[in-house]
Amino acid sequence: MSPHERPVAASVTVTADDVQRLCEFLYRRTGMLFDGSKRYYIDRRLTERILATRSNRFDEYFAHLRSDAEHEIEHLINAFTVNETYFYREDHQLRCMTSNLLEDIVLRRSSDEPIRIWSLPCSTGEEPYSIAIWLMENWPAVDRYDIEIVGSDIDTRALKAASEGIYGERALMRLTNSIRERYFRPLPDGNLQIDPGLRDSIRFTKANLIETPSMNEYRNIDIVFCRNVLIYFDDASRRMAAENIYDCLRPGGYICLGHSETMSRISSLYQVCRFPDAIVYQKPEADDGNR
Amino acid sequence: MATAETKGRRARILVVDDSSLVRLYYLSALEKAGFVVEQAINGIEATEKVLDQDFDVLIVDVNMPGMDGISFVKDLRRRNEDVAALPVLMITTEAGEQDFADARAAGANYYLVKPVSEADLIRHVSALAGWAR
Repeated sequence: MSPHERPVAASVTVTADDVQRLCEFLYRRTGMLFDGSKRYYIDRRLTERILATRSNRFDEYFAHLRSDAEHEIEHLINAFTVNETYFYREDHQLRCMTSNLLEDIVLRRSSDEPIRIWSLPCSTGEEPYSIAIWLMENWPAVDRYDIEIVGSDIDTRALKAASEGIYGERALMRLTNSIRERYFRPLPDGNLQIDPGLRDSIRFTKANLIETPSMNEYRNIDIVFCRNVLIYFDDASRRMAAENIYDCLRPGGYICLGHSETMSRISSLYQVCRFPDAIVYQKPEADDGNR
Repeated sequence: MATAETKGRRARILVVDDSSLVRLYYLSALEKAGFVVEQAINGIEATEKVLDQDFDVLIVDVNMPGMDGISFVKDLRRRNEDVAALPVLMITTEAGEQDFADARAAGANYYLVKPVSEADLIRHVSALAGWAR
Protein backbone atom coordinates (compact mmCIF):
# COMPACT_ATOMS: atom_id res chain seq x y z
CA MET A 1 0.00 0.00 0.00
CA SER A 2 1.47 3.37 -0.95
CA PRO A 3 1.60 6.13 1.66
CA HIS A 4 -1.25 7.83 -0.16
CA GLU A 5 -3.60 4.92 0.34
CA ARG A 6 -5.50 4.37 3.53
CA PRO A 7 -7.68 1.44 4.46
CA VAL A 8 -11.05 2.81 5.50
CA ALA A 9 -12.68 -0.53 6.17
CA ALA A 10 -11.59 -4.12 5.99
CA SER A 11 -12.29 -4.30 2.28
CA VAL A 12 -12.41 -0.64 1.22
CA THR A 13 -9.45 1.52 0.31
CA VAL A 14 -9.54 5.08 -0.93
CA THR A 15 -6.66 6.77 -2.69
CA ALA A 16 -5.65 10.41 -2.77
CA ASP A 17 -7.01 10.41 -6.30
CA ASP A 18 -10.40 9.15 -5.15
CA VAL A 19 -10.54 11.81 -2.47
CA GLN A 20 -9.77 14.47 -5.02
CA ARG A 21 -12.54 13.27 -7.32
CA LEU A 22 -14.94 13.31 -4.41
CA CYS A 23 -13.85 16.78 -3.32
CA GLU A 24 -14.34 18.12 -6.83
CA PHE A 25 -17.78 16.62 -6.90
CA LEU A 26 -18.67 18.10 -3.51
CA TYR A 27 -17.31 21.45 -4.62
CA ARG A 28 -19.45 21.52 -7.74
CA ARG A 29 -22.51 20.60 -5.74
CA THR A 30 -22.11 22.68 -2.59
CA GLY A 31 -19.27 25.15 -3.12
CA MET A 32 -17.56 23.70 -0.09
CA LEU A 33 -13.89 23.14 -0.53
CA PHE A 34 -12.09 20.36 1.31
CA ASP A 35 -8.38 19.95 0.76
CA GLY A 36 -5.81 17.31 1.61
CA SER A 37 -5.28 18.75 5.08
CA LYS A 38 -8.77 17.57 5.98
CA ARG A 39 -8.08 14.06 4.77
CA TYR A 40 -8.94 12.40 8.07
CA TYR A 41 -12.26 14.21 8.18
CA ILE A 42 -13.05 13.29 4.58
CA ASP A 43 -12.03 9.63 4.91
CA ARG A 44 -14.18 9.16 7.97
CA ARG A 45 -17.32 10.50 6.34
CA LEU A 46 -16.64 8.85 3.02
CA THR A 47 -16.19 5.48 4.72
CA GLU A 48 -19.46 5.98 6.51
CA ARG A 49 -21.24 6.44 3.19
CA ILE A 50 -19.41 3.61 1.37
CA LEU A 51 -20.42 1.22 4.14
CA ALA A 52 -23.94 2.60 4.39
CA THR A 53 -24.52 2.05 0.66
CA ARG A 54 -22.94 -1.42 0.79
CA SER A 55 -20.55 -0.41 -1.97
CA ASN A 56 -17.45 -2.60 -2.29
CA ARG A 57 -15.10 -0.03 -3.74
CA PHE A 58 -14.83 3.72 -4.05
CA ASP A 59 -15.57 3.53 -7.81
CA GLU A 60 -18.75 1.66 -7.14
CA TYR A 61 -19.76 4.19 -4.53
CA PHE A 62 -18.88 7.11 -6.77
CA ALA A 63 -21.09 5.76 -9.58
CA HIS A 64 -23.90 5.36 -7.06
CA LEU A 65 -23.32 8.94 -5.94
CA ARG A 66 -23.23 10.44 -9.40
CA SER A 67 -26.46 8.76 -10.40
CA ASP A 68 -27.93 10.12 -7.16
CA ALA A 69 -29.35 6.68 -6.44
CA GLU A 70 -31.42 6.70 -3.26
CA HIS A 71 -30.71 10.43 -2.85
CA GLU A 72 -27.09 9.69 -2.11
CA ILE A 73 -25.97 13.24 -2.90
CA GLU A 74 -28.11 14.52 -0.07
CA HIS A 75 -26.84 11.83 2.30
CA LEU A 76 -23.26 12.71 1.43
CA ILE A 77 -23.84 16.44 1.93
CA ASN A 78 -25.47 15.67 5.26
CA ALA A 79 -22.44 13.66 6.27
CA PHE A 80 -20.06 16.45 5.26
CA THR A 81 -21.72 19.42 6.92
CA VAL A 82 -20.76 20.11 10.47
CA ASN A 83 -23.68 20.55 12.80
CA GLU A 84 -22.19 21.54 16.06
CA THR A 85 -23.19 24.76 17.70
CA TYR A 86 -24.82 26.06 20.88
CA PHE A 87 -27.33 28.61 22.13
CA TYR A 88 -26.22 32.24 22.50
CA ARG A 89 -23.02 31.56 20.55
CA GLU A 90 -21.22 34.85 19.81
CA ASP A 91 -23.91 36.71 21.71
CA HIS A 92 -22.17 40.05 21.14
CA GLN A 93 -23.77 39.95 17.69
CA LEU A 94 -27.18 39.32 19.21
CA ARG A 95 -26.55 42.32 21.47
CA CYS A 96 -25.59 44.35 18.40
CA MET A 97 -28.87 43.30 16.77
CA THR A 98 -30.99 44.63 19.65
CA SER A 99 -28.79 47.65 20.49
CA ASN A 100 -28.16 48.94 16.98
CA LEU A 101 -29.44 47.03 13.97
CA LEU A 102 -33.13 46.80 14.78
CA GLU A 103 -33.32 50.41 15.87
CA ASP A 104 -31.98 51.44 12.49
CA ILE A 105 -34.21 49.01 10.59
CA VAL A 106 -37.32 50.22 12.41
CA LEU A 107 -36.47 53.89 11.71
CA ARG A 108 -36.18 53.27 7.99
CA ARG A 109 -39.33 51.18 7.68
CA SER A 110 -41.97 52.64 5.43
CA SER A 111 -44.52 49.85 5.55
CA ASP A 112 -46.09 47.30 7.87
CA GLU A 113 -44.05 44.51 6.32
CA PRO A 114 -42.57 42.11 8.83
CA ILE A 115 -39.01 42.44 10.06
CA ARG A 116 -37.29 39.43 8.52
CA ILE A 117 -34.35 37.73 10.18
CA TRP A 118 -32.62 34.82 8.49
CA SER A 119 -30.31 32.27 10.07
CA LEU A 120 -28.29 30.68 7.29
CA PRO A 121 -27.09 28.03 7.80
CA CYS A 122 -29.20 27.31 10.86
CA SER A 123 -27.80 23.83 11.49
CA THR A 124 -29.86 22.11 14.20
CA GLY A 125 -31.75 25.28 15.19
CA GLU A 126 -29.68 26.72 18.04
CA GLU A 127 -29.12 30.00 16.21
CA PRO A 128 -32.67 30.88 15.08
CA TYR A 129 -34.07 29.88 18.49
CA SER A 130 -31.35 31.96 20.17
CA ILE A 131 -32.38 34.95 18.05
CA ALA A 132 -36.03 34.56 19.08
CA ILE A 133 -35.20 34.10 22.78
CA TRP A 134 -32.75 37.00 22.71
CA LEU A 135 -35.40 39.27 21.16
CA MET A 136 -37.98 38.36 23.79
CA GLU A 137 -35.50 38.83 26.61
CA ASN A 138 -33.72 41.92 25.37
CA TRP A 139 -35.73 43.94 22.87
CA PRO A 140 -38.44 45.98 24.60
CA ALA A 141 -40.24 46.55 21.28
CA VAL A 142 -40.56 42.84 20.48
CA ASP A 143 -44.37 42.94 20.61
CA ARG A 144 -44.53 46.13 18.53
CA TYR A 145 -43.48 44.54 15.22
CA ASP A 146 -44.31 41.51 13.19
CA ILE A 147 -41.07 39.53 13.24
CA GLU A 148 -40.38 36.64 10.89
CA ILE A 149 -37.47 34.36 11.71
CA VAL A 150 -36.41 31.80 9.11
CA GLY A 151 -33.77 29.12 9.60
CA SER A 152 -32.31 27.49 6.47
CA ASP A 153 -29.74 24.83 5.88
CA ILE A 154 -28.53 22.59 3.08
CA ASP A 155 -28.62 19.60 5.46
CA THR A 156 -32.11 18.12 5.69
CA ARG A 157 -31.17 16.00 8.68
CA ALA A 158 -30.16 19.13 10.59
CA LEU A 159 -33.43 20.80 9.60
CA LYS A 160 -35.41 17.87 10.97
CA ALA A 161 -33.51 18.09 14.26
CA ALA A 162 -34.11 21.85 14.31
CA SER A 163 -37.87 21.40 14.07
CA GLU A 164 -37.79 18.76 16.79
CA GLY A 165 -35.81 21.17 18.95
CA ILE A 166 -34.35 18.72 21.45
CA TYR A 167 -31.06 19.76 23.08
CA GLY A 168 -28.56 18.43 25.57
CA GLU A 169 -26.42 20.22 28.10
CA ARG A 170 -23.64 21.06 25.65
CA ALA A 171 -25.94 23.10 23.42
CA LEU A 172 -27.62 24.75 26.40
CA MET A 173 -24.50 25.58 28.44
CA ARG A 174 -24.79 29.36 27.96
CA LEU A 175 -28.45 29.58 28.97
CA THR A 176 -29.51 30.50 32.49
CA ASN A 177 -31.98 28.37 34.41
CA SER A 178 -34.60 31.05 34.10
CA ILE A 179 -34.34 30.97 30.29
CA ARG A 180 -34.40 27.17 30.29
CA GLU A 181 -37.58 27.21 32.37
CA ARG A 182 -39.28 29.81 30.21
CA TYR A 183 -38.56 28.47 26.76
CA PHE A 184 -37.98 24.73 27.12
CA ARG A 185 -39.73 21.67 28.48
CA PRO A 186 -37.83 18.94 30.27
CA LEU A 187 -37.85 15.46 28.73
CA PRO A 188 -37.60 12.25 30.76
CA ASP A 189 -34.06 11.57 29.46
CA GLY A 190 -32.74 14.88 30.85
CA ASN A 191 -32.68 16.73 27.54
CA LEU A 192 -34.78 19.84 26.98
CA GLN A 193 -37.25 20.44 24.16
CA ILE A 194 -37.99 23.89 22.81
CA ASP A 195 -41.40 25.31 23.72
CA PRO A 196 -43.94 24.51 20.96
CA GLY A 197 -44.92 28.19 20.71
CA LEU A 198 -41.32 29.15 20.08
CA ARG A 199 -40.91 26.34 17.58
CA ASP A 200 -43.98 27.51 15.66
CA SER A 201 -42.67 31.05 15.45
CA ILE A 202 -39.74 29.93 13.29
CA ARG A 203 -39.91 28.62 9.74
CA PHE A 204 -37.31 26.07 8.69
CA THR A 205 -36.46 25.69 5.00
CA LYS A 206 -33.83 24.06 2.83
CA ALA A 207 -31.48 26.44 1.04
CA ASN A 208 -28.11 26.24 -0.68
CA LEU A 209 -26.02 29.40 -0.45
CA ILE A 210 -24.36 29.01 -3.80
CA GLU A 211 -27.41 27.86 -5.72
CA THR A 212 -28.78 31.16 -6.97
CA PRO A 213 -32.24 29.86 -7.98
CA SER A 214 -32.86 28.38 -4.52
CA MET A 215 -31.82 31.71 -2.98
CA ASN A 216 -34.23 33.67 -5.19
CA GLU A 217 -37.22 32.79 -3.02
CA TYR A 218 -35.78 34.87 -0.20
CA ARG A 219 -36.22 38.60 -0.57
CA ASN A 220 -36.46 41.71 1.62
CA ILE A 221 -34.55 40.18 4.49
CA ASP A 222 -33.49 42.72 7.15
CA ILE A 223 -30.78 40.75 8.96
CA VAL A 224 -28.88 37.63 7.88
CA PHE A 225 -26.79 35.63 10.31
CA CYS A 226 -24.33 33.71 8.16
CA ARG A 227 -21.70 32.60 10.58
CA ASN A 228 -18.79 30.23 10.22
CA VAL A 229 -19.80 28.69 6.92
CA LEU A 230 -17.96 30.79 4.33
CA ILE A 231 -14.71 29.50 5.81
CA TYR A 232 -15.49 26.18 4.11
CA PHE A 233 -15.77 27.81 0.69
CA ASP A 234 -13.15 28.81 -1.81
CA ASP A 235 -12.91 32.41 -3.04
CA ALA A 236 -15.26 31.99 -5.99
CA SER A 237 -18.00 30.25 -4.00
CA ARG A 238 -17.60 32.64 -1.11
CA ARG A 239 -18.16 35.52 -3.45
CA MET A 240 -21.14 33.87 -5.05
CA ALA A 241 -22.66 33.19 -1.62
CA ALA A 242 -22.07 36.79 -0.53
CA GLU A 243 -23.69 38.10 -3.71
CA ASN A 244 -26.66 35.75 -3.40
CA ILE A 245 -27.24 36.99 0.14
CA TYR A 246 -26.85 40.56 -1.06
CA ASP A 247 -29.75 40.05 -3.43
CA CYS A 248 -31.87 38.59 -0.62
CA LEU A 249 -31.33 41.62 1.62
CA ARG A 250 -33.53 44.67 1.70
CA PRO A 251 -31.53 47.86 0.94
CA GLY A 252 -30.06 48.86 4.29
CA GLY A 253 -30.21 45.23 5.50
CA TYR A 254 -27.36 43.69 7.46
CA ILE A 255 -25.28 40.53 7.38
CA CYS A 256 -23.46 39.19 10.43
CA LEU A 257 -20.52 36.87 9.77
CA GLY A 258 -18.56 34.71 12.20
CA HIS A 259 -15.96 36.49 14.33
CA SER A 260 -13.03 35.21 12.27
CA GLU A 261 -14.61 36.11 8.95
CA THR A 262 -14.46 39.40 7.08
CA MET A 263 -16.44 40.54 4.08
CA SER A 264 -13.81 42.92 2.77
CA ARG A 265 -11.84 40.09 1.19
CA ILE A 266 -14.97 38.47 -0.24
CA SER A 267 -17.07 41.17 -1.86
CA SER A 268 -16.95 44.94 -2.17
CA LEU A 269 -20.74 45.26 -2.43
CA TYR A 270 -21.23 45.75 1.29
CA GLN A 271 -20.47 48.66 3.60
CA VAL A 272 -18.64 47.95 6.83
CA CYS A 273 -20.52 49.05 9.97
CA ARG A 274 -18.56 49.19 13.20
CA PHE A 275 -20.90 49.04 16.17
CA PRO A 276 -19.76 48.84 19.80
CA ASP A 277 -20.64 45.14 20.06
CA ALA A 278 -19.79 43.85 16.59
CA ILE A 279 -18.64 44.59 13.08
CA VAL A 280 -21.40 43.84 10.60
CA TYR A 281 -21.90 44.49 6.89
CA GLN A 282 -24.69 46.44 5.28
CA LYS A 283 -26.27 46.48 1.84
CA PRO A 284 -26.19 50.19 0.91
CA GLU A 285 -29.57 51.89 1.25
CA ALA A 286 -29.23 53.47 -2.16
CA ASP A 287 -29.16 50.05 -3.85
CA ASP A 288 -32.28 49.80 -5.96
CA GLY A 289 -31.81 46.14 -6.82
CA ASN A 290 -30.14 46.69 -10.21
CA ARG A 291 -26.70 45.51 -9.46
CA MET B 1 -47.96 35.21 44.05
CA ALA B 2 -50.79 37.35 45.40
CA THR B 3 -51.35 39.43 42.25
CA ALA B 4 -51.82 36.36 40.10
CA GLU B 5 -54.62 34.99 42.29
CA THR B 6 -58.30 35.55 42.03
CA LYS B 7 -61.28 33.64 43.40
CA GLY B 8 -58.81 31.76 45.60
CA ARG B 9 -56.91 30.28 42.65
CA ARG B 10 -54.34 31.33 40.11
CA ALA B 11 -55.94 33.70 37.60
CA ARG B 12 -56.42 32.35 34.08
CA ILE B 13 -55.49 34.62 31.21
CA LEU B 14 -56.25 34.24 27.49
CA VAL B 15 -53.73 35.88 25.16
CA VAL B 16 -55.17 36.60 21.71
CA ASP B 17 -52.58 37.65 19.12
CA ASP B 18 -51.75 36.37 15.63
CA SER B 19 -47.98 36.46 16.17
CA SER B 20 -46.68 33.36 17.94
CA LEU B 21 -43.58 35.24 19.06
CA VAL B 22 -45.70 37.97 20.69
CA ARG B 23 -47.97 35.39 22.32
CA LEU B 24 -44.93 33.62 23.70
CA TYR B 25 -43.47 36.91 24.97
CA TYR B 26 -46.65 37.74 26.92
CA LEU B 27 -47.15 34.13 27.95
CA SER B 28 -43.69 33.72 29.45
CA ALA B 29 -44.00 37.04 31.32
CA LEU B 30 -47.42 36.10 32.69
CA GLU B 31 -46.42 32.57 33.65
CA LYS B 32 -43.35 33.90 35.43
CA ALA B 33 -45.71 36.15 37.45
CA GLY B 34 -47.82 33.14 38.40
CA PHE B 35 -50.73 33.34 35.97
CA VAL B 36 -52.14 30.38 34.06
CA VAL B 37 -52.12 31.25 30.37
CA GLU B 38 -53.96 30.03 27.28
CA GLN B 39 -53.52 31.35 23.76
CA ALA B 40 -55.63 32.02 20.66
CA ILE B 41 -54.53 33.23 17.24
CA ASN B 42 -57.58 35.37 16.40
CA GLY B 43 -61.10 36.30 17.47
CA ILE B 44 -62.63 33.11 16.13
CA GLU B 45 -60.36 30.83 18.17
CA ALA B 46 -60.70 33.16 21.17
CA THR B 47 -64.52 32.92 21.02
CA GLU B 48 -64.33 29.12 21.05
CA LYS B 49 -62.01 29.20 24.05
CA VAL B 50 -63.98 31.69 26.15
CA LEU B 51 -67.18 29.73 25.57
CA ASP B 52 -65.44 26.52 26.54
CA GLN B 53 -63.15 27.53 29.42
CA ASP B 54 -63.14 29.82 32.40
CA PHE B 55 -60.94 32.93 32.13
CA ASP B 56 -60.36 35.93 34.37
CA VAL B 57 -58.77 38.35 31.90
CA LEU B 58 -58.47 38.49 28.12
CA ILE B 59 -55.51 40.19 26.45
CA VAL B 60 -56.55 41.05 22.91
CA ASP B 61 -54.53 42.38 19.98
CA VAL B 62 -56.45 44.66 17.59
CA ASN B 63 -55.02 43.70 14.20
CA MET B 64 -55.48 40.01 13.47
CA PRO B 65 -56.49 38.18 10.30
CA GLY B 66 -59.69 36.13 10.48
CA MET B 67 -61.50 38.06 13.19
CA ASP B 68 -59.85 41.21 14.56
CA GLY B 69 -59.81 42.27 18.20
CA ILE B 70 -62.47 44.99 17.89
CA SER B 71 -65.02 42.62 16.28
CA PHE B 72 -64.19 39.93 18.82
CA VAL B 73 -64.78 42.19 21.83
CA LYS B 74 -67.96 43.70 20.32
CA ASP B 75 -69.28 40.20 19.75
CA LEU B 76 -68.26 39.09 23.23
CA ARG B 77 -70.11 42.01 24.86
CA ARG B 78 -73.31 41.13 23.01
CA ARG B 79 -73.42 37.58 24.31
CA ASN B 80 -75.75 36.64 27.13
CA GLU B 81 -73.49 34.25 28.90
CA ASP B 82 -71.18 35.20 31.76
CA VAL B 83 -68.42 35.77 29.22
CA ALA B 84 -69.94 39.13 28.24
CA ALA B 85 -68.52 40.67 31.43
CA LEU B 86 -64.97 39.36 31.08
CA PRO B 87 -62.33 42.07 31.61
CA VAL B 88 -60.50 42.85 28.36
CA LEU B 89 -57.06 44.44 28.05
CA MET B 90 -56.70 45.59 24.47
CA ILE B 91 -53.17 45.86 23.09
CA THR B 92 -52.29 47.37 19.77
CA THR B 93 -49.72 49.28 17.77
CA GLU B 94 -52.20 52.09 16.99
CA ALA B 95 -51.94 55.09 19.31
CA GLY B 96 -54.46 57.50 17.68
CA GLU B 97 -57.42 59.09 19.50
CA GLN B 98 -59.82 57.27 17.20
CA ASP B 99 -58.16 53.93 18.00
CA PHE B 100 -58.70 54.50 21.72
CA ALA B 101 -62.30 55.54 21.03
CA ASP B 102 -62.95 52.43 18.90
CA ALA B 103 -61.54 50.13 21.57
CA ARG B 104 -63.64 51.82 24.27
CA ALA B 105 -66.74 51.67 22.10
CA ALA B 106 -66.17 47.96 21.44
CA GLY B 107 -66.05 47.35 25.18
CA ALA B 108 -62.36 47.10 26.10
CA ASN B 109 -61.67 47.82 29.79
CA TYR B 110 -58.17 49.10 29.18
CA TYR B 111 -56.06 49.97 26.18
CA LEU B 112 -52.27 49.70 25.92
CA VAL B 113 -50.06 50.70 23.01
CA LYS B 114 -47.23 48.35 22.02
CA PRO B 115 -44.47 48.00 23.01
CA VAL B 116 -45.80 46.88 26.37
CA SER B 117 -43.19 46.25 29.03
CA GLU B 118 -43.36 43.14 31.16
CA ALA B 119 -43.98 45.29 34.27
CA ASP B 120 -46.88 47.18 32.63
CA LEU B 121 -48.42 43.99 31.35
CA ILE B 122 -48.36 42.35 34.78
CA ARG B 123 -49.62 45.51 36.49
CA HIS B 124 -52.66 45.91 34.23
CA VAL B 125 -53.50 42.22 34.06
CA SER B 126 -53.31 41.99 37.87
CA ALA B 127 -55.59 44.99 38.21
CA LEU B 128 -58.12 43.53 35.79
CA ALA B 129 -57.90 40.10 37.46
CA GLY B 130 -58.77 41.93 40.69
CA TRP B 131 -61.98 43.20 39.07
CA ALA B 132 -62.93 39.66 38.31
CA ARG B 133 -62.44 38.61 41.92
